[in-house]
Amino acid sequence: MKRLAAILGLSVLMSFSFAAEKIQITFWHAFGGGRTAFIERAVQDFNYTHPGIEVKAEYKGSYRDTLNAAILAAKQGNAPHIVQIFEVGSQMAIDSGIFVPIEDYVPAELKFQLDDYIKPVANYYRIGGKFNSIPWNSSNPILYYNKDIFKKAGLDPNNPPKTFNEVVEACKKIEATKAAPKCITWPLHSWFVEQWVAEQGALLANNENGRAARATDVYVDSEAMKRIMKWWKGLYDKGYYAYTGKPEDWDGANQLFVSKQAAMEITSTSDVTFMQNASYENGFELGTGFLPVPDGIERNGTVVGGASLWLTKGHPQKEQEAALTFLLWFTNTENMVRWHKGTGYFPVLNTSVKVLDWQHWFTRNPAYKAAFDQLLQSKANRATQGALIGPFPEVRTIIENMVQEIFQGKDIAKALAEADAKADKALKDYNAAVAK
Amino acid sequence: MDTHAAYKSRWLPWVLLAPTFVILLAFLYYPTFETFKLSLYRVAFLGLSKKFVGLANYKELFTNPDYLHIFWNTAVFAFFVVLFSMAAGLALSVLANQKVSGWRVYRLLLIWPYALSPAVAGVIFLFLFNEQSGIVNYLLSITLGITPGWLTNPKLAMALIIFAAVWKNVGYNVVFYIAGLQNLPGEVLEAALIDGASSWQRFWKITFPLLSPMTFFLLIINTIYAFFEAFPFVDLLTKGGPSDATNILIFNIYRDGFEYYKTGMAAAQSVILFVAVVFLTIMQFRLGESRVHYGS
Repeated sequence: MKRLAAILGLSVLMSFSFAAEKIQITFWHAFGGGRTAFIERAVQDFNYTHPGIEVKAEYKGSYRDTLNAAILAAKQGNAPHIVQIFEVGSQMAIDSGIFVPIEDYVPAELKFQLDDYIKPVANYYRIGGKFNSIPWNSSNPILYYNKDIFKKAGLDPNNPPKTFNEVVEACKKIEATKAAPKCITWPLHSWFVEQWVAEQGALLANNENGRAARATDVYVDSEAMKRIMKWWKGLYDKGYYAYTGKPEDWDGANQLFVSKQAAMEITSTSDVTFMQNASYENGFELGTGFLPVPDGIERNGTVVGGASLWLTKGHPQKEQEAALTFLLWFTNTENMVRWHKGTGYFPVLNTSVKVLDWQHWFTRNPAYKAAFDQLLQSKANRATQGALIGPFPEVRTIIENMVQEIFQGKDIAKALAEADAKADKALKDYNAAVAK
Repeated sequence: MDTHAAYKSRWLPWVLLAPTFVILLAFLYYPTFETFKLSLYRVAFLGLSKKFVGLANYKELFTNPDYLHIFWNTAVFAFFVVLFSMAAGLALSVLANQKVSGWRVYRLLLIWPYALSPAVAGVIFLFLFNEQSGIVNYLLSITLGITPGWLTNPKLAMALIIFAAVWKNVGYNVVFYIAGLQNLPGEVLEAALIDGASSWQRFWKITFPLLSPMTFFLLIINTIYAFFEAFPFVDLLTKGGPSDATNILIFNIYRDGFEYYKTGMAAAQSVILFVAVVFLTIMQFRLGESRVHYGS
């Protein structure tokens, strides 16, 4: 009896010690719903194939909530190992000082994976010449349109508008033929404004978009901005543009489009999968096209939107290595292919694009193709690299408020000048606060 | 020896009160104190660096037209919410207090909105008042041929969040007013009835004054509600838009504190909100003392 107890005790002890040898890694992300399930499945795969490591993924709410929670946890000394941070939080993440510049820690034999990133993505996330984080979910805005409404309005269903004027022309026809109650919608979000600024090759902040040195001046009052606002205001006044009235209402805009209230919608490529399903359910044929740009300018391309994965400081070396192993596995070629097919987010590695090509994925799924071509055709310059601005979330609200003021009849030049002053002040306050 | 003393030991009451004090200290007094302190600092996002700036945050609040606009919005919002939710609460409870058939159902239905969480109420309003696909505009377009931009027009947006906040809180007022009405001394009303007073006179000369303690209590509760609990409606319906037309203090505190990481500014606004509500409550007590009749 005694011996049995001893054996039992010993085996319990041993199982504990085995369990203890597993390295625990926490990963905080901002994806709810179906994407949570997707991440969970990938994490399970990883844990199964890496018996020494146990990754736990946790959904922490919105991008902003996730960043908040991570910085707070880091201050209290128990930061998660991996955090997903939205692209405009990049400057903030660097300033927070709680993350390691990831490129310095990638083992030599896996460096190839960093060189595999498609150019526009590498362009955005290489800050000061190196990756501070691992790019993960990346997207762009594209034009989605309802081919049935286009046919009804006498428009070419295979030739969506490519410029601002072409959008207006299409809207005229749609209104004249009463093919749809509204012509076009997109969420009233600063992200689209930023994209149109980049398309024109213009900058959003000084010091080369904050890439050469910390930005000290936000360019809201620019010619590029004026063109966008004039067109947008025109669409609004004629009743062509519809939005729910709430800023940043992504779901509301999607609702207007899939319920056939609007003939076109501009929104993120990460909704391709959703749109395909919704168009099938609502019985219309979906088309996708490039983001329409101002007439007479050369198309520079779009800025990569989305988020990347950051590694926090101050963990034992073993844990840091394990976290990095997971990160590089999670964003490797196979997983990027899966991620793209499951959501519409870009396959951000050249090799994953090759795999998809080999599977004829893009010819079989043309909706995904427009999204991706637009990204690949982006020119690599400071404009399309995207701005780094510390208080970006606040600047976004300033721009969104400005757009609404313009809708209500404020003079465009005046609104731009006022918003410019506000954005500069927000930046000045931020810079003063982070200055050591 | 004090014969009133329930406790033999002088320390026992303190020991028994200690848990309450500890909780109050940890969760009420200490955070309040910290808020006051923080409002004097300029804080980099989430407290990564802190610099004492004295009253600079307050100066900013009282000189920046954007913030003054927010104060104005808050005053307008609070005034109308308190006014309408109390007036509607009183009117509905007087109606529901009548002995008509089905009174149980009416009362239940009146209290119902209060049982809904503000988040759910906010989402319902969002569906109802969606400009393009909401049912309200659908009905208006087939009957009157108009489709107002509930959330794109600044005045309508303000009216809508006031309406939502009132709708949500009316049930609470109804509960208290009905309780008040049930406890009115029947003989006074009966005497008035016999003396030939009209129902209008009976209400304003007897019922309303007798209800004054209840009105006074509800005034304070509703004021606090209007200042502190309207956050979900703004967040869900308008996000402060269009262009800050519905941005009220409680929403802006959240936004400055948790979205823009300007903790110092958010703390200063909290202090202002705190002071405003304390001031209003004291004023109400001062003015109320002479007008409120508590039954003997």
